[in-house]
Amino acid sequence: MPAYLQSAPVSDRAHLSQLDIAGDLLTLLNDSTTEVRTDDQLEALTLAVAADLPVLLWGEPGIGKTAALTQLAESLDLPLTTVIASVHEPSDFSGLPIIGDDPAQHGVPMAPPDWAVRLVRAGQGLLFLDELSTAPPAVQAALLRLVLERRIGALRLPPDVRIVAAANPRSSAADGWELSPPLANRFVHLQWIHDHEVVVRGLGGIWPRATMPRLEPEKFADAVMFARRAVCGLLAARPNLVHQIPSSETRRGGAWPSPRSWDMTLRLIAFATAAGASQEVLSLLVRGTVGDGPGFELLSSIDRMDLPDPETLLADPSAVDLPERGDLRQAVLDGVVAAVRRRPEKSRWDAAWAVLVKAAETGPPDLVVVPATTLATLRGDNWEVPASIEQLAGVVAVSQGADRGAARVAAQTGR
Amino acid sequence: MTDAPELDSGKLFAARLQAARARPYLATALYALHIVESRRVPTMGVDKYWRCYVSPAFVDCTPVEELASVLVHEVSHLLRDHHGRSDRFARRHDLTGPAERLRMNIAADAEINDDAFGDGLVRPEGAVLPKTLGLSAGELMEDYLRQFRLGNFPDDLAWLDCGSGADGLDREWELGPDGADGLTEQERAGVRFRVAQGIVGRPGNAPEGWRRWAEEALHPPQPWRDLLGAALRSAASAPGAGQDYTYGRPARRSAGVPGAVLPSLRRAPPRVSVIIDTSGSVSDAELGSALLEVAAISRAVGGRRDLVTVLSCDAAAQVVHPLCRAEGIPLVGGGGTDLRTGFARALRSRPAPDVLVVLTDGQTPWPSSRPGCRTVVGLFRRKISWSEHDPEYVRSGPPEWARVVDIGTSA
Repeated sequence: MPAYLQSAPVSDRAHLSQLDIAGDLLTLLNDSTTEVRTDDQLEALTLAVAADLPVLLWGEPGIGKTAALTQLAESLDLPLTTVIASVHEPSDFSGLPIIGDDPAQHGVPMAPPDWAVRLVRAGQGLLFLDELSTAPPAVQAALLRLVLERRIGALRLPPDVRIVAAANPRSSAADGWELSPPLANRFVHLQWIHDHEVVVRGLGGIWPRATMPRLEPEKFADAVMFARRAVCGLLAARPNLVHQIPSSETRRGGAWPSPRSWDMTLRLIAFATAAGASQEVLSLLVRGTVGDGPGFELLSSIDRMDLPDPETLLADPSAVDLPERGDLRQAVLDGVVAAVRRRPEKSRWDAAWAVLVKAAETGPPDLVVVPATTLATLRGDNWEVPASIEQLAGVVAVSQGADRGAARVAAQTGR
Repeated sequence: MTDAPELDSGKLFAARLQAARARPYLATALYALHIVESRRVPTMGVDKYWRCYVSPAFVDCTPVEELASVLVHEVSHLLRDHHGRSDRFARRHDLTGPAERLRMNIAADAEINDDAFGDGLVRPEGAVLPKTLGLSAGELMEDYLRQFRLGNFPDDLAWLDCGSGADGLDREWELGPDGADGLTEQERAGVRFRVAQGIVGRPGNAPEGWRRWAEEALHPPQPWRDLLGAALRSAASAPGAGQDYTYGRPARRSAGVPGAVLPSLRRAPPRVSVIIDTSGSVSDAELGSALLEVAAISRAVGGRRDLVTVLSCDAAAQVVHPLCRAEGIPLVGGGGTDLRTGFARALRSRPAPDVLVVLTDGQTPWPSSRPGCRTVVGLFRRKISWSEHDPEYVRSGPPEWARVVDIGTSA
């Protein structure tokens, strides 16, 4: 807002033109405050940009993608260069052919546009390629070379230039923007959705100010190890998740898993961990890189990664620290019983009972019933039942209650 | 209120165990519920953070088997995202006020209850069924909401107040987003994903309604109009069709940049040929709406009416003729029931089409080689084919070079 307008009160400036007075009203309208608010999609965008991966924002027109980019550039302290793709020609991105004195001798150089030259001279910056979806196919093709190879004509963008692109979803695109699977695989796809509450508060004069994730160097080594363990753990167990080209029309143009996108995921997990980002942010990033299905599988296997290892539990049942959440606790107990089934030995069988007793003492007894029943069937010849099993009396009562209920249901429906 | 009993947690856990035994595919979700004792909730209710509020008095006076059914009912609200769907419905239709939310709770109950009980679970007293509202079973909450008003059903009907997890309206007894032990959005999605995966992986014992839910939770459907439009648009504006840059003719901008050769924008309206092959199994309404859609889209990408031609087969003649006459589209008659003759005929026409759109139910031989232009297939699917031994089995359909859009009856 222009500060000089505020220097004199309106009444003193009655002789000024109507346009100057209108400026005062505009100043008043622009006067808004900000409040801190966690914004998952902005945080995800920041992390992907920090990880130096090309991001593609999908969103309906007019929901504040540009505003978000402005805020991002501000917080990263980078100059923002916005290029509206749809008003350019392909040669603006692939370079303008300049015919010199002797083309046969020197060749025809491809001259880059002025914004690219300025960007290279600055050495760093945030390049925002807006309205990718309304550009003709040849322009899109030229732009993709810029995004993927970072080349504009003869120029090469310096490594500190970060690139973000935006596109309208297919259903609202005026013409045929579509990513082929190989290209879609190189982007982190983020869906940009407006938050009803944010819009209403913003129009009322209070816009959100996101807190930017801060990378903490002391976490780096652990973060890299964690990311590698998460991705490799899943892919070792599910080899066919490594590469799945989207086949159905519904999934076209979106994220899909391949060694390349898994590598990107690994990077993003490390960044999110080092920044202490929330599960929501991690979820946006992972699903935006390998797609919803494989993304969910990775996330839930990360969830389970924190669970205690069955072998550790069997080795020392007294030190057991079982998770509070019922479904996770169930997964741990099932894991313990499965471990005994794999290698049935008397000592392991006894240890498993100790774990179950501990579970019955510290949480809901109904979770213990199924593992206990299964464990009982694993009993070897002349293995003595451990004395601690008497502490499972509550479990037995619950199980009998359920049996009686089921019997009554059967009796009712049988008649 | 003062001499209200303590929560009989043993009874409640027995009920949960019975529920998990009767519906093994819901066990993960049942165990993920965080049970909160509350004296203010009328019976049992859930919030969207997967907390389950239980009244001790209700547990006391309800038999175990009925509690099991209620737990399955409550967890179904959460899995089916009824609060989110209620919020979206309310926003889309500008509905406010508690009465509308009550209606949503009832509609959500009707969606769940028509196939939730039986097979090891009793139907609780006063459970709302679609029949109670005078409606037919097997529909979605949104469909029911359009069909009944609050005055329409008996006043003495008792329903369970299922909490904000069912209709999105916060209750005063709920702990809210900052309270203890709620699941985050990511954790909720994780539980939902696991349950869906379990149902799709071992679908033998899950009823049809849950299987459909799981299928949609893993692969959310998209409206076929959007997909067909996108496929057609990208085919019509791809290089070689529609508008694009060409060095064949210099740009006018070249004059301002001496020494440079710039391409110019060339624009050629796409020619679209529609082949209709129905073998009599596609309804006139479906076919008509698909054909109109194709005509509208090709106009939107710059095509002219006279550039859209329709090649009809005999079975579809009654619907295609009047539509084409009304739309001013030239109709090329005949073709035969074999789709390959249709392809050959469309490709023989001069000038050749830029895009071929085939509307078919897929029960037909396909050309063995790729045609010279882009092909979009609108496939009328009759039945979801599915194999128990191989969940990733896909029925052999149109060839790979065609872009296939499933055209359903809904959306």
